[in-house]
Amino acid sequence: MSASVSNVFDVMLNLETAAVGGLDSSVPSPQSPAIRLGDAPQIVGTIGFTGEAKGLVYLYLDLAFARHCAGQILGMTESELTVAGDEVVHDAIAEVTNMTAGGFKNCLCDCGYPCMLSLPSILRGNSFYVVPVSNAMRHTLRFNCSEHTLVADLFIKLGD
Amino acid sequence: MVVKKAFKDFDCEILEASNGVEGLSTAAKEMPDLVLLDVTMPVMDGVEMLTRLKCDAALKAIPVIMLTAEGGRDHVLKVAKIGVRDYVVKPFRDDVLIEKVGRVINLKPRTEAPLRTKSISDPADILVVDDKSAIIEQIRDGLKHWPWRIHGAASQGEAVDFCARTPPDLVIISLSLPDETGLALFRLIRANVCTKYTPVFGLAVRTETAQMQQAQNAGLGTVITKPIDMRDLETRIAKAMNLDTSKRYYAIESETLIMRLPETCGPSILTEIDRHLKPKIAEAVDAGHVNVVIDAHLLNSLEMAVIKLLFQAMQTCRELGLKCAMVGNSKIAAECKGIEDTRHWNFYDSIEAARAPRAT
Repeated sequence: MSASVSNVFDVMLNLETAAVGGLDSSVPSPQSPAIRLGDAPQIVGTIGFTGEAKGLVYLYLDLAFARHCAGQILGMTESELTVAGDEVVHDAIAEVTNMTAGGFKNCLCDCGYPCMLSLPSILRGNSFYVVPVSNAMRHTLRFNCSEHTLVADLFIKLGD
Repeated sequence: MVVKKAFKDFDCEILEASNGVEGLSTAAKEMPDLVLLDVTMPVMDGVEMLTRLKCDAALKAIPVIMLTAEGGRDHVLKVAKIGVRDYVVKPFRDDVLIEKVGRVINLKPRTEAPLRTKSISDPADILVVDDKSAIIEQIRDGLKHWPWRIHGAASQGEAVDFCARTPPDLVIISLSLPDETGLALFRLIRANVCTKYTPVFGLAVRTETAQMQQAQNAGLGTVITKPIDMRDLETRIAKAMNLDTSKRYYAIESETLIMRLPETCGPSILTEIDRHLKPKIAEAVDAGHVNVVIDAHLLNSLEMAVIKLLFQAMQTCRELGLKCAMVGNSKIAAECKGIEDTRHWNFYDSIEAARAPRAT
């Protein structure tokens, strides 16, 4: 997942990411609270995968960073983004989430865990809970990128 | 939008569709030169859209490049079997996508100032490279109603010399030149800065599928088949040279807008007619003309898509207060009588007769 995040942000956004603090793995609680990126408003891209491996990928970005990423990937200035509206930012982050989860999913497929991606969606806010599939593991990765924090949160269950 | 950014410096129009159903509908309406197709989409995913596209006789020739985050080995093999020209896994670099698309279609850099759109009736230089002079003559004769200068070259050497003297607007190369020099010539044309973006067509006998496949693999995307359908060749030339083709179907004659339908109206022709319909009617209104004649006397058969277009034309005329009449032949008049919605349509025998009631 770390390689996938770095690859997407480097290739599509021309941004360098640096992993911070290593992989944080745990057995998630039945209602796992959302990660909070400080007090700033945040955008969360989410996508599911199902098959021999099942799970969910969440990509957390603060709103300012999400707008910066949208500008980078779409070649739009801040004012152009304002005119285009929130939907464009949402679409851009959904695409980034799709590519990030896609890279990870392709590795799973090539390692003998064929699975399919769902459609990406966007959550706004920081007061929500994730209800993971039973026996899933939670792996959280934090990155520094352009003076912002980016978090990839993975819930995964391999095999049946 | 990510794709639009990649092609912002190139002279190409990007049409968007958010799912497979929209994609199929847009492909049928616009007949694009290339489809870039994602897999994960709502309503209808990319694999299903690709399958349907390749099963549709009218659409299956449109080349498809997959552009998707789905890069698992098994998935790529499955999609490759259905038939795609290339497969790009996201994330992608713009230059990689441009290079792969450039192998399928002629990508030209966008010029700074907008140029006047060349019309189908403007002179153009077309070079036909074939060692059989009869074929060159056939093409010259088939396109003689347009002011295009058809130049012949019998060999690779002659063609290279011609291009050095007069860079042509379009080149047609026989793929059966001796010693496979046809593809070598194509590569030379692409390598030359003066002809790098010149549209090039291959020319092959319809049954020579291996030859056509070899040409497509070399990046020669358009192959004209022999026996040559001149109407199809004309349409392809106009599209490749980005010519305004409205004069094929629309004209102002004696203060009347004439809309002419050819013998057969395939999807690409209907798209062309439809694309020019509203602008041409608007031009006529702007010039103070109030009469429109739809000339369908050459039409062989009244397909549903043609009926839809005619309804649309009549509706537009009604909305703008224009008087609309139709010229037809006995066959399509009879066909109309058999369809509830067209039963009341009247056809005149000639444009003059169609105009006459308006004059009174």
